[in-house]
Amino acid sequence: MRLRKYLISVQKEALLLIRDIEGVVLIFLMPVILVMVVTLLQHRTFQNLAEVKIPVVVVDYDNDSLGSAFSRGIGNAGIFEVTTVRGTDSSQLLKARQDVAGGKYQIGIVIPEDATRSIKNRVIVLIQQQLPEALKTAEAGSSLQSTISLFFDPVTKQSFKELTRASLEKFAAVTENRIFITAYSKVIDAITGQQSVLDIPDEPGIVFREDMVSEYTGGVMPNSVQHNVPAWTLFGMFLICIPVAGSIIKERSEGCLARLKTLPISFLNILMPKTIVFVVICMLQALAIFLIGIYLMPFLGLPGLQIGGNYAALFFITFASALAASGFGIAIGSIASTHVQASTFGSVSTVILAAIGGVWVPVMIMPEIMRSISAFSPLNWGVTGYYSVFLRNASTLEVMPEILKLTAFFVFCIMAGVWFRKS
Amino acid sequence: MKGDTLIDIRNLVKVYQGRNTPAVDDLSLQICDGEIYGILGPNGAGKTTIISILCNLIHPTSGSVSIDGLSLASDKRKIKQLTGVVFQDIALYDRLTAFENLRYFGTLYGIHRHELEERINKLLIRLGLEKFSDEKVGTFSGGMKRRINLLAGLLHNPRLLFLDEPAVGIDVQSRNVIIEFLQELNASGTTIVYTSHMMEEAQKLCTRVAVIDYGKVIAVATPDELINNNPDCRSLEDVFLKLTGRSLRDDFQ
Repeated sequence: MRLRKYLISVQKEALLLIRDIEGVVLIFLMPVILVMVVTLLQHRTFQNLAEVKIPVVVVDYDNDSLGSAFSRGIGNAGIFEVTTVRGTDSSQLLKARQDVAGGKYQIGIVIPEDATRSIKNRVIVLIQQQLPEALKTAEAGSSLQSTISLFFDPVTKQSFKELTRASLEKFAAVTENRIFITAYSKVIDAITGQQSVLDIPDEPGIVFREDMVSEYTGGVMPNSVQHNVPAWTLFGMFLICIPVAGSIIKERSEGCLARLKTLPISFLNILMPKTIVFVVICMLQALAIFLIGIYLMPFLGLPGLQIGGNYAALFFITFASALAASGFGIAIGSIASTHVQASTFGSVSTVILAAIGGVWVPVMIMPEIMRSISAFSPLNWGVTGYYSVFLRNASTLEVMPEILKLTAFFVFCIMAGVWFRKS
Repeated sequence: MKGDTLIDIRNLVKVYQGRNTPAVDDLSLQICDGEIYGILGPNGAGKTTIISILCNLIHPTSGSVSIDGLSLASDKRKIKQLTGVVFQDIALYDRLTAFENLRYFGTLYGIHRHELEERINKLLIRLGLEKFSDEKVGTFSGGMKRRINLLAGLLHNPRLLFLDEPAVGIDVQSRNVIIEFLQELNASGTTIVYTSHMMEEAQKLCTRVAVIDYGKVIAVATPDELINNNPDCRSLEDVFLKLTGRSLRDDFQ
């Protein structure tokens, strides 16, 4: 009979929800729209720096090997979109400065007319210091150093400037080395009387490889979809606190709760069926959004959602998140007196929990103090759990701390609600 | 008085938080088995507070209540099983049908499925609602909702039924059906404790009444005894006005 009491209560809650068809549509549709809009909006922000090219104008007054090698080198690096202007007089420089100031280019680079010559002079001086008098054939010029000027769009961030400067220094050094080696080669040819063909490879001798530290063999990299889909799914789940709280307040204000309290049932018999129905709704909501992430988002030019390979862990972290979200709604519904109180507190507190929980901005790029606060948000536990499952292919055991924290939050919310009503 | 004492209320006091005056003030009553007992009083007299305490919805500040020898404080579950409650509010789910509402509350009382369905159908026929069994309660008129509200409180054949203004704000026909039905229930052995403002209805229905004011009992007798003891009064309403005064009683929740 006790089971029948639970079953009929679950059936009642389900019927009440299903018969509010507009409400059900909103519960499913709004989070789906939210996830898609936010993912599309943040897609560009989440792209790697390599995918976003920095527009650069190079004014080449050198018109020699350094100027062309430099333009070619930074163009091949993949992070700059290079426009080279052949410098003949000051008008090109003036035009380039105007273009950078106007935002057409983020960076302007001016290679002076004696740049190649200066490097060659330096090489000659260095080589001749090491050769006997008899072999000194060339006379070095007076110019041993040239200045490459940079100018930036005023809105360019400092970190961006430093990155650009470091990249340019690298290309300048590579170009200087090539000239150096070529000059040395000519000297050696002069000594040995041979005509060697020097082939300097474009690729450096030492290369770097980057990998995500992930046990997942697919090597899934975080992108806008991998972050936004689980994060905003959790946000959508927690917004269910508003209909949950609303159903409790409606039941109370219409007198049904008073009638239920006069029946030979426990208070849990009133709360648990509500929890069961809304947990199922949250899980269906998550399933719908994940399916959209996997199958629909690639059609919108986004990467498809990779959910890892551990479905049990995915189920449990979703279940625990749904429990926490429903429990949050029950606590709000028990404490709030009116719909206005519940919807205001429910929506604002969910936004705050989402903000500190790493839904809007990933926790790893938050300041230290926010990272400490973030550890107290149930949405952070959920996001961390999803990251672990999606990116590290974590097992159920590995996400157990998050599952337990979310479940404890649910228990705390239920106890707070019951305590508040009884007191 | 009909049978043995079924409800024994002794020195009951209820002071709500933030109020200086008690809603129920040292009230003692004995209600006997088989009675239709009316608790009558103006707004704010303490009627709903007494019913809410008897239904275990609120706790008294002091005093004791026993129902059928069971303590209200310690035998809640047993008492809930033998009592039924019908509130002034329509405590039904608008989006469920009449049948679904009754099946839900009946199941929570622990009635078995077939017995429950049989009882629901019988009661719906008795109150003229069988044609609307599968209609959502939200579409019902006030009188229909009141009748379903009444049925939801007595599906488990309670020995004791608490009614808080069961026929307020409804048409004469619906009220008449409800009154007749309550008399039938009482005839079959159900004790009814009933609060109302409607003196004519109380005079017709109740075997005994307690007139209360400011949380205190000011008279207990049968309606006829009250009228006879006050020769200047021709009806229960006259007695009521004589005992409680003619000044307006505005109350706040």
